[in-house]
Amino acid sequence: MTANFSKLPVLIILTLISLPLGVMYLSLVVDSFTNTPPDSLVPNEFTLEHWRYLIDPTLVGNIWVATVYTLIYAVSMAAIVIGLSATGGYALSRLQLPFRRFFLAGILVMHGFPAVTLIIGVFLVLKFIGLYDTLAGIVLVRAALTLPLGIWVMKGFYDAVPWELEMAGLQDGAGRFTVWWRIIVPQIQPGLMALGALAFIDAWGEFVIPRVLAPTTDFQVLSVFLNSISVPDSVEYNFNIYKAVGLFYTLPVLVLFIVFQNRLMAIFSGGTKG
Amino acid sequence: MTNTASVSGSLEPDVTARPARSEPRKRRYRRGQLFGLAMLAPTLIFVSVFFFAPIILTAVTAFTNMTSATGITGGAYLITPTVVRELQQQGFAPALVQALEQQVIHVDDATLAAAREAGVAENFLADIAANLSGRQFASERDFERELKQFQSRPRRIRDLKLAIEPFTESILNQRFGNRADATAAVYSVAPDVTPAELDTVLKNSYTGWVWTTENFAKLSADKESLRVFLNTVFYVSTTLAFNVLVALFMALALFYLPPTTGSVFSALWLLPRITPVVLYAVMWKWFTWDNGFIANLAGYLGLPSFNYMKGSVPTAWTIVILVNGFVGASLGMILFSGALRAIPRQQLWASEVDGASRLQQVRCIILPQLRWPIMFVTCYQALSLVGSYEQIWLTTNGGPGRTTTVWSLEAFRTALLNYSGNLQYGMGAAMALVLVAGGLVVSIFFLRLFRFNDLVEKPRIEL
Amino acid sequence: MAILHKPVVAFGAVLLGAAAVNAMAEDYTITVWAGGTNQTSHYRVDAIVMAAELLEREASVLGEDLNITVESQVWSGWDDFKQAVTLAAESDTLPNIIVSGHEDIGPWSQAGAIRPIEDYVDFDAWPLNQLYDNLIDVASYNGQIWGIPQDAESRVFFFSKPKLKAIGYSDAQINNLSERVRSGDYDLYDMLDDVKKMQDEGVVEAGMGFAPRPTNGPDYWQFYQSFGGEMVDADSGKLVFDEQAMTDMYQFFVDAVDMGVVPRTYLGLEWDDWHRNVAAGNYGAWHGGTWHYSQWTASFGLTDFFDNVSYSLIPAGNKAGHANAITHPLVYLLSSSGSDDDAAIAAELIAIASEPRINSLHAVESGHLAIGADQVTVPLYANDYWTSEATEKLLPYANAIPNNADFGIYWDAMFQGLEAAWTGASSVEQAVSAARNEVTSALGSGVIVR
Repeated sequence: MTANFSKLPVLIILTLISLPLGVMYLSLVVDSFTNTPPDSLVPNEFTLEHWRYLIDPTLVGNIWVATVYTLIYAVSMAAIVIGLSATGGYALSRLQLPFRRFFLAGILVMHGFPAVTLIIGVFLVLKFIGLYDTLAGIVLVRAALTLPLGIWVMKGFYDAVPWELEMAGLQDGAGRFTVWWRIIVPQIQPGLMALGALAFIDAWGEFVIPRVLAPTTDFQVLSVFLNSISVPDSVEYNFNIYKAVGLFYTLPVLVLFIVFQNRLMAIFSGGTKG
Repeated sequence: MTNTASVSGSLEPDVTARPARSEPRKRRYRRGQLFGLAMLAPTLIFVSVFFFAPIILTAVTAFTNMTSATGITGGAYLITPTVVRELQQQGFAPALVQALEQQVIHVDDATLAAAREAGVAENFLADIAANLSGRQFASERDFERELKQFQSRPRRIRDLKLAIEPFTESILNQRFGNRADATAAVYSVAPDVTPAELDTVLKNSYTGWVWTTENFAKLSADKESLRVFLNTVFYVSTTLAFNVLVALFMALALFYLPPTTGSVFSALWLLPRITPVVLYAVMWKWFTWDNGFIANLAGYLGLPSFNYMKGSVPTAWTIVILVNGFVGASLGMILFSGALRAIPRQQLWASEVDGASRLQQVRCIILPQLRWPIMFVTCYQALSLVGSYEQIWLTTNGGPGRTTTVWSLEAFRTALLNYSGNLQYGMGAAMALVLVAGGLVVSIFFLRLFRFNDLVEKPRIEL
Repeated sequence: MAILHKPVVAFGAVLLGAAAVNAMAEDYTITVWAGGTNQTSHYRVDAIVMAAELLEREASVLGEDLNITVESQVWSGWDDFKQAVTLAAESDTLPNIIVSGHEDIGPWSQAGAIRPIEDYVDFDAWPLNQLYDNLIDVASYNGQIWGIPQDAESRVFFFSKPKLKAIGYSDAQINNLSERVRSGDYDLYDMLDDVKKMQDEGVVEAGMGFAPRPTNGPDYWQFYQSFGGEMVDADSGKLVFDEQAMTDMYQFFVDAVDMGVVPRTYLGLEWDDWHRNVAAGNYGAWHGGTWHYSQWTASFGLTDFFDNVSYSLIPAGNKAGHANAITHPLVYLLSSSGSDDDAAIAAELIAIASEPRINSLHAVESGHLAIGADQVTVPLYANDYWTSEATEKLLPYANAIPNNADFGIYWDAMFQGLEAAWTGASSVEQAVSAARNEVTSALGSGVIVR
């Protein structure tokens, strides 16, 4: 904007408070490709040895298996969230339901409240329905946690679709389902995709739920995998390998984030708009 | 996606209905409602199973003394030597005590028949009958040693042990799944036990949980819980302040800076939000540990070099607040940036023409317009900070000592994760319930504040 | 008349036993979970794998076709392992064999998560008949033997020889130190004075004089014993809360903090840092376990252990207490999940895994001690200097923490109080009374307060 403002002090403060993040993320990338002598901060050689775990499963275990499980976990969780948010959000946006206000208030509260506190109760539920220590169990639980946000966001997207579109469809004699599926869903498709991306990112990084509710290695996800190689008491504790694995782990969500950046920004702020 | 669609579709069989106009209004209304319920049903089921059921189960569990020793699904009746000793100390008659704990092994026609029925091999039984008939043994081990001398003994030791069982008369260390079985067992060894005595025996031998309100009494009496509570208040308020202030500063700075510079910073600050928590926590460890970045840097600068994450209480708190603050700041930043863009530019230009400085502009024009986003972020973040423990667990783990332990972490550790393996589900659930109650109060306040009715105006489509 | 036995189970088992004679193929999958396992202690699981192969061969000699698949999972920590086991017990997904600390026998047997192993194996036959009796006692609860000891250790006090020399100890005096500790002539406060001297003379950095175990562990009960505390009343079998001993024990650590030989924020230090400092010779005195020896020498580059480190029992704290050690054996437990036949096979595997030669592999590699008398005749074990030293000098004085379903509550309360006093969050008196209140309100008449 205009000139009665000096950018420099603002830039300096901005850089200073961003410094910890900058240093941490920069070193994450740099350290995974270099070696640093002990008691120094500056690396002295370039190397790819920290990435050998990609082809050598004896180093830290087979990362590809964990990656596949994480993919299954995140994709199925995102699918559930998309499906339920698309239907539930529509119902709450468009239809005169009994207790509609109550539902909306409830969804908003659940969206804000960190349900991970209820993990004891969630364990009991999984135990009773027989899904403790299964991939399906943790997918359902994780999906349930993201669902309130998803419904709220999708309700916002539906609200923005002009209802004349829908009325026109109904007056042409199409059923409600057809109208929703053929006319409305294409309108909100960008929102659904962004929500899917967000759900995927959430599931990809989730740690507590797989760790507590599915502790055996039958389908170890990457977060648990990464945590298991960070045990400081172990012998082959190598920070640079850890960072390389961590970088590998973060790359997919980073790519997703860059692709969906603008949409995700809108969704992160999901709760504010009606 | 297709899955849900087909479910909804099957609940709405007639997709090519007659023109809506010609339908009676009432019927249309009912069809609309049905469709709405069908669309909402999967969500409802999900939310009931994974939100309401856990809350109810947490509330129920909070009023029990459930631990890993009592189990969750109810206990059994188990008369152990410990139980018998307790009864003895409570003044039970010696004869009754003896009847409860005695273990006798008879070899007679009745027990031989029982063994035959249980499937013990005939030639082995014949040897037992021929050599040991009429004998009594005081311990299974002695009897077992006798049996091992027979050629006809089962080769597998487990089969031998199973063959011994029919000869044994004892209720000691037997698990009885229900009260009736346990009662029958006690009567079988002590026929003249009085109902009051029987009741005491069963009560003492029950291994399961019982209802209690003691968890809450303990929580309110315990000084430690007060400390953890104060920790939580401190943690939430400082992290919240960091979040809101930094987010505000970031949003304003990005607003005034050229877009390219701004986008670099906003991307950097969004990274913690999408970085998996395990990696994020370890990056902080690397940053603050004994031989980590800060310690090394401090060493160069001649400052005290130590484990900043766990080495002192003030630094530990600083790290905890920063770790959580950096994750949360991006939300406020995005929201505030959005609100800033919505401010009409003309207002800002006009103020500049009037000679207002940037600071005046921010104070008089921008901040008043950001009032609602700021309040929203404050409420929302407060709610999520109260219940989040993942980052603290993975970084300081509540230490040094228990100085950075917050309520939700303590609840998690009490119920599910501690060194001695003594998981107190009941107590942990009571602590979680306190959080749920607190969260609900904050939420209701939150909904009032944001004029919830305005947010949920009637649906616009006619039915 | 016999009461409650399980005729159906018995019948089925005998039938199956008969079937085995007819050379039908039998396939078993036995799962093993072990906690607290790192790279040097993999034989906790591997011993079961070896046992399975032996048992298959034995079966084949008898003309049977037995196939055993061993599946395993190990945890490096204890808290997450115990969480997994406890939750699995609730949801009926327990493995067949659990390797855990013996103190879990109390709560887990009460909850019905494990079966008494004495119903499945022959304690009169080799190799179980040569196991040390005191270890069998440690694996027993309520008059039944629930587990078979997997390893034994001793928790040891270590001194740095070079640092002792630097403050004027002669070689003879250093060699005599462990004897002085044992007799009670050298107590914990003498130790504090010595490490303070090391710090004052600059041979040890400030706050590095004394480095006890950085996290919760049975070791802290040793200090309670050093001040005359008893964990359990021998006559009634009840837990004992000795207020005086608890006060003295808390006070000792507070004094150590006040003298500056250990930081106020010490608890919760990473093990990795601790091991590195030990191996680098940075501490004056510290205490750990016999098995740490193998970690220091194998992983942290401590090459000349015996030239640099002197070891002893944990010194007495005052006249009321005595020098002591605690052994905290891990045990193989038989879970209540799976069929009776699975349990029988699993129990046989455990028995075979306890054979001296197989157990010695674990003992020597991981720095643990023998579980049975025959093991000292196994060359691998007998020729290992550290294990035989520890077996001779430390194990005879070792006792164990009690098997009691309620001990976990007491333990948590003891350590919370210690943390509160240590970090200065509350005074010693407050910490002791908080711990006492916690224990008495939770256990009522189950605990004796002295």
